[in-house]
Amino acid sequence: MSQSDSSETRQCVSCGINIAGTNAARFNCPDCGQLIFRCATCRKQSNLYECSSCGFMGP
Amino acid sequence: MSDNEEGLEAETEASPDAEADAEVDDDAPPAATEAADTEDAEEAEAETATPVLDENVMPDEEADLLIPVEEYLQSGVHIGTQQKTESMERFIHRVRTDGLYVLDVSQTDRRIRTAASFLSNYAPEQILVASSRQYGRFPAEKFAEAVGARARTGRFIPGTLTNPKYDGYIEPDVVVVTDPIGDSQAVKEAITVGIPVVAMCDSNNTTSNVDLVVPTNNKGRKALSVVYWLLANETLDRRGAEPTYALEDFETEL
Repeated sequence: MSQSDSSETRQCVSCGINIAGTNAARFNCPDCGQLIFRCATCRKQSNLYECSSCGFMGP
Repeated sequence: MSDNEEGLEAETEASPDAEADAEVDDDAPPAATEAADTEDAEEAEAETATPVLDENVMPDEEADLLIPVEEYLQSGVHIGTQQKTESMERFIHRVRTDGLYVLDVSQTDRRIRTAASFLSNYAPEQILVASSRQYGRFPAEKFAEAVGARARTGRFIPGTLTNPKYDGYIEPDVVVVTDPIGDSQAVKEAITVGIPVVAMCDSNNTTSNVDLVVPTNNKGRKALSVVYWLLANETLDRRGAEPTYALEDFETEL
């Protein structure tokens, strides 16, 4: 996978920003297992996220 | 409910009785006082014999729960605090007349299943359970034993997740905390290393830096036992293992 491809997929599920640096989280959706990225800001501000495949609303 | 709040509640409950007793002593003859005392004793006995359970704890009365709703109510899983935060508002069902917020039991139940499904995706030894809260220590250790996870109870030594030179340094893939306030060091280190955080949050918790909330009373002895027991059983169930633990195994002794 090229660098541009990997950066496309590493987008915050809440705000859509490209994730770079530390403090971001990467985990599978608790309901369907789809890969989810959350940026440091959205984690800190407790912004809601929604899984694109199953619609699970977190945190 | 914290110790202070319990104390306050006890005070507010005790004061009207004390006033009533004083009035009786002043005006009524001794026979009437005795009768009043007997009535009080009977009422107290009736209350202890059949505790009145809160019925209005979720919007959907027909919800399919892991255990009967009465068991949730007896352990006080739904009891929140007198404070609420904006992030926990969506898990709150109503507010009681004494100011305590009541958590939606159906959402608690659903989130326990979700958290179990989430944890079952990880290797057992890659799960870290943290609990600095007194009543959460034993259930957390028991949960760790049941699912094969690692537990850090009591004081969370700074550097456990971040300092490779520390003897107790570990690299888990997910962290479960009993209270994001009490276990703030565990949450902080989990953020630093970029691993997801599952937290049991009460109505007064902020969900900052938490990736999966399990809304529950995280202060009560029985409530924590029930939640950890259900979480352990569900996690084992999702892995295809047979749950062998009873609720009594998870209860902290007084």
